[in-house]
Amino acid sequence: MEEQILELAEARGAKAEVYSSDENRLTVEFRANEFHSQESRLARGYGLRVVKNGRVGFSSTSDPDKVGELVQAAVDTSEFGKRCGFEFPGPASSLPAVKTFDNRVIMLPAIKMIEWARELVDAVRARVPAIKVDVSLTRRYGERAIVNSAGLRRRFSRATLELSATGLLVSDGLVWMSEYENLSAGGPPSIGLLADRIEQKAVLARTRARLATGTYPVVFMPTAVPDLLYPLVTGVNGKQLEKGASPLIGKVGEKLLDEKIVLADNALRDFGIASAPSDGEGVPRRRNVLFDRGVFTGFLFDLATAAACGARTTGSAARDYSSPPRPGMSNLELAPGDARLEDVLTGIKQGLLVHDCIGGGQSNVLAGDVAVNVSSGFHVGNGKLTGRVKDTMIAGNVYKMLANVAAVGDVVRDLGRFHVPFLMFECLKVATRE
Amino acid sequence: MDNLKPFLTQVLAGVASQYADIRVEESDETDIVYRGQELDQVERSFERGGCIRVFHQGNWGTASFNQVDEKLEGLARDVASAVEAMPAKPETLGSLPALTDSVTIPEADDPRKVPLEDKHALIKHYNDILLKTPGVTTTMSAYEDKFRRSSFLSSEGRFITQDSVYTGFVCRAVARDGTNVQDYHDTFGKTAGFSSLLNREVMVERIAKVALDLLKAEPVTAGRYDVIIDQELAGVFAHEAFGHLSEADFLAANERLRELMKVGNKYGVDELSIVDDGTMPGERGSFRYDDEGSAAERTELIKEGRIAGHLHDRQSAQRMSERPTGNARAVSYRFAPIVRMRNTFIEPRGYNIEDMLDSVENGLYVCGSRGGMTELESFTFSSQYARLIEHGRQTKLMRDVILSGNVFETLKNIKMIGDDLVMFGGLGGCGKNGQAPLPVGLGAPHLLIRNVVIGGK
Repeated sequence: MEEQILELAEARGAKAEVYSSDENRLTVEFRANEFHSQESRLARGYGLRVVKNGRVGFSSTSDPDKVGELVQAAVDTSEFGKRCGFEFPGPASSLPAVKTFDNRVIMLPAIKMIEWARELVDAVRARVPAIKVDVSLTRRYGERAIVNSAGLRRRFSRATLELSATGLLVSDGLVWMSEYENLSAGGPPSIGLLADRIEQKAVLARTRARLATGTYPVVFMPTAVPDLLYPLVTGVNGKQLEKGASPLIGKVGEKLLDEKIVLADNALRDFGIASAPSDGEGVPRRRNVLFDRGVFTGFLFDLATAAACGARTTGSAARDYSSPPRPGMSNLELAPGDARLEDVLTGIKQGLLVHDCIGGGQSNVLAGDVAVNVSSGFHVGNGKLTGRVKDTMIAGNVYKMLANVAAVGDVVRDLGRFHVPFLMFECLKVATRE
Repeated sequence: MDNLKPFLTQVLAGVASQYADIRVEESDETDIVYRGQELDQVERSFERGGCIRVFHQGNWGTASFNQVDEKLEGLARDVASAVEAMPAKPETLGSLPALTDSVTIPEADDPRKVPLEDKHALIKHYNDILLKTPGVTTTMSAYEDKFRRSSFLSSEGRFITQDSVYTGFVCRAVARDGTNVQDYHDTFGKTAGFSSLLNREVMVERIAKVALDLLKAEPVTAGRYDVIIDQELAGVFAHEAFGHLSEADFLAANERLRELMKVGNKYGVDELSIVDDGTMPGERGSFRYDDEGSAAERTELIKEGRIAGHLHDRQSAQRMSERPTGNARAVSYRFAPIVRMRNTFIEPRGYNIEDMLDSVENGLYVCGSRGGMTELESFTFSSQYARLIEHGRQTKLMRDVILSGNVFETLKNIKMIGDDLVMFGGLGGCGKNGQAPLPVGLGAPHLLIRNVVIGGK
């Protein structure tokens, strides 16, 4: 089918690229301790990008009977399209090695997924009888293909399996406790460990702790660290450079963050949620270091933004069939440091430990501003976790925060697209109702 | 895709579960986006796909697909056998009578008949109005249209084909004075044809003007104020703060909220009525049938200050022993429908804006919405701008005005309800459980609310 679309587009005098994806997704869901639903999704579609008279057009379809309309629409849109500054890549000699599926994931029956979810619900309830648990397991198995007029032919498969669980307790308001595990490597879920983590939070949540508005040492546990990294992910996007909007413009080579910060975008991580040997334009993927010991090393590009910025693609084209490529992150890795959580907590007389936040992304993200409500967080008093805090807000600027990191945890958590340790800050502004 | 009934009947024929339905959709969408002087995006997409749902003894199985062919019979049987293997729960869906109906749109409203160059010329024209305004440094202007045809068949023998059309645009102007950068946007969109977007120059000129005015605005001082909120912000309040709490799937999971939202509970002045209505012609959240084949209707959520009803799909209605209200909606064929709003608004009453201004000694007149968040009954909304009210007169322009509070307390503090209801649609829409953006409408007259917490920077 890809070849047929390509030929039709070329017959219209265009250079073309066809991207297709064919995905099979299965989700089983438990809500409030009970089986709720099993959902499957079979999704297939084609995206066509053409370059005609030096201009780019794009169309997409999930209807294999609409190939003629697809080609016509792409040619039509190219009349108004952007000037094209790039060439479609030809076949490269070799692709990097990366594991993107395990047969155990592909072969896993739905009934086994339901069984695991049930085991997790039971394990959590055995520890915390009053809790209501939601569990979902989602398997995605997909094949992507890219062909273009420069002779490129690429095809690869990826299978992922992810588990997420949320416990809900009523204790002086509602308390949510979330956990996640990436099971794409093929093993069973760590039921005991996940249940223990939910139990720890549930036990602490029974006690209400109070913290007055002020400046405190704050530990961002791995689950809360992505809220701090989103502004950086936006800032390093080549599209923001092209638009003149990134605060990082003109700062390549400058030390902007603490030297404990080593941040990379790595699509070549085995069994990563976004891992792939090549990107959405067929360019070989690689590990792109974004900040090396605090020094900003460069932006992420696809072909079009690289051409517009006078740079080379970093193999970072992200897309699905229904939209043209854009630069995007794959799996983000923050390198571990040498701090142990127990030691860091011992050193805190009065402070805060944050597991989860809501409200990230509401402020001026591009400028690095964050303002988050702590939805799951605990007071630290004389080195010990004393109880749950409510109505607590942390606001600041991540470029300033990350320029002064007191400690980086020694263990990296796999959160799907984020692979991060905990971060500790010596003094952050914390606003509460106390 | 003419009459799919025989084909869909065949697909469901092998399913013996308590209930099953299948929905097949086709859509054709055009998007054009300008950023500053440059055309950033011009795209067209043709989608076709569908979704099968099976309900048996309290359990749901669903499957969405793109391939519409005879293999769907096997898929339907697979979904059914998976659901039938689950432990039974004592729950039913109720029943709806068999029905055949077909909903079409006027041919003149079909955006597929409008040449791409006309669509491009229109959004370029509006974008140029912003760009040629001195002081505007950059812009974003987007055009979008969508034609959707869905065919629905249930095992109860309800067969409905329904065409719908969405067109709209959004314009944003950014103004800069040194390091002071301000922006303002507005959007227009309905379930109507391309021609509804023409002659909107006044709206676009105002976008540029407000962005420039905001350069001179002062940040507001935090505190408690008496506020008049405009029709758009009041509509967002009705939708975000109150409407979501009326969604019965959410209530089913939360005992305390169910208590708070009990029919008869009094939360406002006798004049206060809030309605969710799927039948308003042309509004962005209107349709004839929802995505599980229930007819859309007008549902009173608050009447004379008291809780009067909830929003339901078939399952939640059955669970709460109420009637389905036609609120089961899916953002596309890839999803099973869930309980969603349609056009949510506060009904107009007798006051005009002058009456309201006269009764505010010191306060704020707060306009527009930049979004916000709600967590159960707490809400936080950012407005686009506000004017200080001093001795009943509007004075200085203020920015960064954020309203927050408890929805039930705030409803009780609504003291005057205006006579000037306006409905809003526009591009974008509502998000819930990963399904976004769902087209909805919202609106209200001006409201006077006493004692609102205003946060500033």
